[in-house]
Amino acid sequence: MRQALAGAVIALCAAVVVSSQTKSPWVYYPLDTINGDGGPAPKRDLSGTWAGPGSTDAIPRGANAERPSLTPLGQQVMSQRKPIGRYGPAGTNDPSARYCDPLGFPLNFIYQNRAMSVATMPDRVVFLLQFGGFWREVWTDGRALPAKVGGDDRDSLDPTYMGYSVGHWEDDYNFVIDTTGLDERTWLLRDGTPHSVMAHVQERWTRVDHNTMKVSMTIDDPKMFTKPFSLGTYFFRWVPNQKINEWLCVPSEILKYQEEQGTPAGSFPDEPPQRLGGGRRGR
Amino acid sequence: MKKVLASIALIAGLALIASPLFAHHGDAAYSSTPLIMKGCKVTEFNWMNPHSLIKFDYKNDKGELQHWTMEIGSPPSMTLLGWNRNTLHYGDVITAYVYQSKTGAPVGRTNKVILADGTVLADRDDSTPSRYGDEKK
Repeated sequence: MRQALAGAVIALCAAVVVSSQTKSPWVYYPLDTINGDGGPAPKRDLSGTWAGPGSTDAIPRGANAERPSLTPLGQQVMSQRKPIGRYGPAGTNDPSARYCDPLGFPLNFIYQNRAMSVATMPDRVVFLLQFGGFWREVWTDGRALPAKVGGDDRDSLDPTYMGYSVGHWEDDYNFVIDTTGLDERTWLLRDGTPHSVMAHVQERWTRVDHNTMKVSMTIDDPKMFTKPFSLGTYFFRWVPNQKINEWLCVPSEILKYQEEQGTPAGSFPDEPPQRLGGGRRGR
Repeated sequence: MKKVLASIALIAGLALIASPLFAHHGDAAYSSTPLIMKGCKVTEFNWMNPHSLIKFDYKNDKGELQHWTMEIGSPPSMTLLGWNRNTLHYGDVITAYVYQSKTGAPVGRTNKVILADGTVLADRDDSTPSRYGDEKK
């Protein structure tokens, strides 16, 4: 009996050692997804590390962006855009695809936002994005959005890639963010849809439960669109070990890719679209 | 009837917007039928963004040596399929299934790689349903 007990203890210890060897706290395991809701959502808190759309099949599917109704200026700018989805790496003029230029807000939150962390500070909420290693500050100290951004006056603020953002808790579980002052060099969507510096984006972040968070976004930009429209709804799930990995767009790598693969493969914008590889179909 | 047509147009429109969200680029530049090349020798494996590259030497039927480059998905995508930085090494002998560029250049999109021990490494997993409908159409 004593031998059996000792054997069981040794086996248990061995199992603990093996499991601690197989899972490192320094590694992001995208397939190691969280189960269940984890209990009720904490109040007024988005803090933590989250897996986003495209990271695994376990992320609930939200809603895609609506098709915008473009103004004549919007149509003119759009007509000059050559998205990578149609023109390929060899023919696109998407600055993020060609040169690793920042996607900026809101695209950095819509496209490739497979993981991110949210940190809460006394006067702001900070989003730390995996893709590109960018961060974004959302001020919660009661300040108003800047009135003059991107103008020619001396007191006009510069546009920025992430814009100027203020946020407030509408109730214990809904955090609403208003953003303006977005740099016009960024594309609103991957298909080349433009935006102006006057664009106003509103996000509603909902802490559904401990393990689930979602965001719905809308944009109003009368210079480019005839009416406001939805930029979609996206879900996030709690990362079990709270670790995500580095994922950067490295200019020297994208130049190597263009030179050795993208450019020799050619651009065929009028050929029917197809997807031959690149991961799991379901994502 | 108008409502039905409007709904169809809306869904088609959304699909057009939705499809490029996660893939870095479409594959219109490549043939949809893979070439099969046996006895390829890996000369370089670049685990990088936006797409990792596999480079290999291949001797064709005429005995001519060709230097090929083929891409796979981004590291985060390929990690989900079990690939990592050390999946391929210089000197590995592989069978390469490649969708060649329509330009005729020796570059392509990977279909799959078979290692000398028979291990199959795919660039795509079809076991989960597509979120964009049947992409083979």
